[in-house]
Amino acid sequence: MLGKLIKYDLKSAAKIFFLLHVIYLLICLVARFFYMDRLRFEEPVEPLVFSLILFVTLMTLLISALSIFTWMQVAFRFYRNLFSKEGYLSWTLPVSAPQHLWSKIISGYILMAADLLILSAGVLLLVTGDNVTSAYSMIADELENELGFSLGSFVCLLFITCLINCLCTVIMLYFSILVGQLFPSHRVLGAIAAYFITSFVVQILTMLLMLVFGFFPGYRGYSSAYGLDYTIRLLYMSLILMLIVTAIQYIAAHYIIKRKINLI
Amino acid sequence: MRPILECQRLTKKYGSFFALSELTLSLDRGQIVGLLGPNGSGKTTLIKLANGLLNPTDGHIMINGLAPGTESKKIVSYLPDRSFFSEHMKVKEIISYYTDFYDNFSTDRASKMLDTLEIDINSRFSALSKGTKEKVQLVLVMSRDADLYILDEPIGGVDPAARDYILQTILTNYNENATVLISTHLISDIENVLDRVIFLQNGQLALNETVDDIRLKYGKSVDALFREVFKC
Repeated sequence: MLGKLIKYDLKSAAKIFFLLHVIYLLICLVARFFYMDRLRFEEPVEPLVFSLILFVTLMTLLISALSIFTWMQVAFRFYRNLFSKEGYLSWTLPVSAPQHLWSKIISGYILMAADLLILSAGVLLLVTGDNVTSAYSMIADELENELGFSLGSFVCLLFITCLINCLCTVIMLYFSILVGQLFPSHRVLGAIAAYFITSFVVQILTMLLMLVFGFFPGYRGYSSAYGLDYTIRLLYMSLILMLIVTAIQYIAAHYIIKRKINLI
Repeated sequence: MRPILECQRLTKKYGSFFALSELTLSLDRGQIVGLLGPNGSGKTTLIKLANGLLNPTDGHIMINGLAPGTESKKIVSYLPDRSFFSEHMKVKEIISYYTDFYDNFSTDRASKMLDTLEIDINSRFSALSKGTKEKVQLVLVMSRDADLYILDEPIGGVDPAARDYILQTILTNYNENATVLISTHLISDIENVLDRVIFLQNGQLALNETVDDIRLKYGKSVDALFREVFKC
């Protein structure tokens, strides 16, 4: 039954998801051949920097819009399928409440991870032209010395963190929506409040832990070896904290969906 | 034989309002039961509790001896009082959905009924009229070989001619071992198909009699008795 639930969930989201992501990849392809490949890094710096800032801003907006769209798609699918009129069908299927939760977690994660992969592929498509790679190779050693690690390893580390973060985001969304269900007359408002309060608590906790574990170096001298250590330690700490918060949210979501749901 | 539906001191509260209050009730197999009562009497709450859409505040509700859950949902076929399919799905996709999730769903039966009603299975659900949507929903619900059919206002939104077809569909598609529980305000339309009626008032049982007994005892039709009991 879990497989069937996931199949129908992905099927209902697939059309618009693929359409928008294919458009994104086409934009990246066009931008690569008509903009990136025509960049001459040996030309005067000022117009180049100006056009690059404009281009990066536009691409950042596009990527953010797509990420937000996927995030909202996952949230709306969960809400609509379980708590709107569609819930009258979903909740009367011969499926347990935890199976519903797991199907949504898996399908939500697949969508978020696919979004991340496609967005990353688009960025990769933009920056892998010969002109960009040869320009980067001229400063690669200098940059590596400065940072204390290669750009490639940093991007890999960031990508893995983002993949794990997708799971945490999905569970946090569902947790917030389920908390909202505990307030029968203000379900959506309750969900939004739960999301922001949880985010705020996680931010405060992160700050506190950074203070406790000495993540604010103050005016200490910066060295490349320290930079690498700092970044890796910070990523590990964020990951561990995220996973702990996610585990707590999952337990609460599991309890609410199993015991407290009333479809009014 | 074990009752198909049993409530013991079943209570459901919304805030301080009692939608159902200590309702004790038992329904046997093999009958068509009318669940009747004015607005706010607790009909839909009882139906939702039987389908596991609500959790009781107190008391118990059992379907074939089981609390509402995965096993009870296999034998209950439920028609809510609203449109409940995803609007973007085609009718044939909804049929596949039912085939995938319900072992007791008969695709042949559903296809034949949709053919008779001249409903194109390639139509999107959103493109159908309100009445046609209700017909599609009823066809799918009645195409399951369930032990208990729970129909909440099945004829509320359709024209009188379609009502006859729907009632005929209900009568011809349930087996003698199954029970059909119908909640409606259109009592005169369904009175002739009912074996038993349950009157709910303020979340409590006001009457639980067979239709024959009502006619003998009160010398009235169910519709006339309802109007008398629930006179404003």
